[in-house]
Amino acid sequence: MATQLPPGIRLETVDDRIMTLNVGPQHPGSGHMRLIIKVDGDYIVSCDPDPGYVHRGEEKMAEYRNYIQNIPHLERPVIHDSSNILYPYCLAVEELLGIEVPERAKYIRVIAAELNRCIYILYWLAIYGIFLGHSTMFMWPAGDRELFIDLLEAMSGARVTHAYLVPGGVRNDLPANFEERCLRQVDYLEKRLKEYLAVFYKNPILISRTEGTGILSRTDAIRLGTTGSVLRASGVNFDIRKKEPYDVYENLDFETVVMKEGDSYARSYVPYLEMFESCRIIRDAIRKMPKSGSVRTKLKPNPKGGNDEVYKRVESGRGALGYYIVSNNRPEPYRVKISVGSFRNLICMPYLLKGELLGNMPAVYWSLNYWPVEADR
Amino acid sequence: MLKEFFNQETAPHATNVLVGKLGDILVRAVGKPLDYAINWGRIWSLWPVHLETACCSVEFGAASSPRYDVERFGIIEAFGSLRQCDLIVVMGTITRKMAPRLRMVYDQMPDPKYVIAMGACAITGGLYFDSYNVLPGIDGVLPVDIYVPGCPPRPETLIQGCMLLQEKIKRMKGA
Repeated sequence: MATQLPPGIRLETVDDRIMTLNVGPQHPGSGHMRLIIKVDGDYIVSCDPDPGYVHRGEEKMAEYRNYIQNIPHLERPVIHDSSNILYPYCLAVEELLGIEVPERAKYIRVIAAELNRCIYILYWLAIYGIFLGHSTMFMWPAGDRELFIDLLEAMSGARVTHAYLVPGGVRNDLPANFEERCLRQVDYLEKRLKEYLAVFYKNPILISRTEGTGILSRTDAIRLGTTGSVLRASGVNFDIRKKEPYDVYENLDFETVVMKEGDSYARSYVPYLEMFESCRIIRDAIRKMPKSGSVRTKLKPNPKGGNDEVYKRVESGRGALGYYIVSNNRPEPYRVKISVGSFRNLICMPYLLKGELLGNMPAVYWSLNYWPVEADR
Repeated sequence: MLKEFFNQETAPHATNVLVGKLGDILVRAVGKPLDYAINWGRIWSLWPVHLETACCSVEFGAASSPRYDVERFGIIEAFGSLRQCDLIVVMGTITRKMAPRLRMVYDQMPDPKYVIAMGACAITGGLYFDSYNVLPGIDGVLPVDIYVPGCPPRPETLIQGCMLLQEKIKRMKGA
């Protein structure tokens, strides 16, 4: 019996009570990943997330393209939040190449980033709604999202993959009558958000499924290194737009949304409240924006970075999103490391799901604001 | 002789052969109207598998949103079992880790089944043609019926692809 096992292999004792479930990748509740869940009856004993189904080697690909050619494929991980994922890249490349950004371009970037944050959160809310069995909450945000997509389409020309932010500013100026149109849509969204509150967030079924499930305490949230809405729902006041303001965020009027509960309900309520803050930022930015001027500093063809390294991060829809770029006097970066919020928030999933009901798994999982394509890069 | 014909031990599939022959005779006799009726039933109840493979799934979600509403063409974004599905929309990049799973999902679907390759990545590898972990197109894994180009395709393009698939099914042999 006592045969020598090869190194790295260990035997696992099988318990008849415990059943292993593979959730995904073909499963409506999993997205582009697999969850290996062990259940005892209806209660989850352990959860082992298995990401990596969409690992496309973005970081390696960035090493054989120059700084401008890198833009399109670096925005693909989160195509519904594409301005925010390009934002730190542009900031980092600007610092690396020593480019000054015109004042008007900085405001346009902030407007694009906040519009995109609204698009992201509305899509996330639609998915969250449909996985909790609330079809109305899929249809409403998915429909309202199209109005913001129209705005960004007018700005950039593309529906979701805008590539609007470039090192040195934005690709082109705002279209005619953009300000009125944008303010009208923002007013409409704020009106609709109040209806969401009545239909979704005050719905007793939603409250019974999310309140008190998957509680993440403040110390655990910090210890596990979560970011974004997960961290803020656990009572930590941390927003990169406030703590390390980039571009013109320090001139704009907004507040950080913090909730203390740390359960699924708080984690799903924080992004909802953040949409109000995004609307405030957009209004303020349109008011303070210079009415005319250049929007882009032209780069030399094939610009070369010095012998330097930079790290820049922004607050995306899912949390801190950073780019670490190492350059060695060549037109291509030597190394690009993308640090994404989704992957950091995935780490706390095994802790949150332990002891939960299996039926509450989608409620906890999607409240983490997780987007698998971004996590796999 | 008839007794021998129905003897399961000597001719194990004789009953099946007989049923199949009857079906052939029926098809030959009724011919085109039967094909038409069967295909008519198929095109208005295409159920896609819910298998998200990459970022194109955002646009697939948008296609079933109120503005585009792909359901009015008979494509239902269902969350059911894949044993009931007859359409697989490959939403974007297939990595080396996903490819065996994709084939496994396809093999579990009942016949007849149709494949739509959505997005440049599913067609040729697209933007990721030189990545070490991405397949250069899915036609080595699945037999593709309709290619929907774009990166990502707009929901209108996806709807057009679905309608082209329905046109294609109309011309297929039904039984």
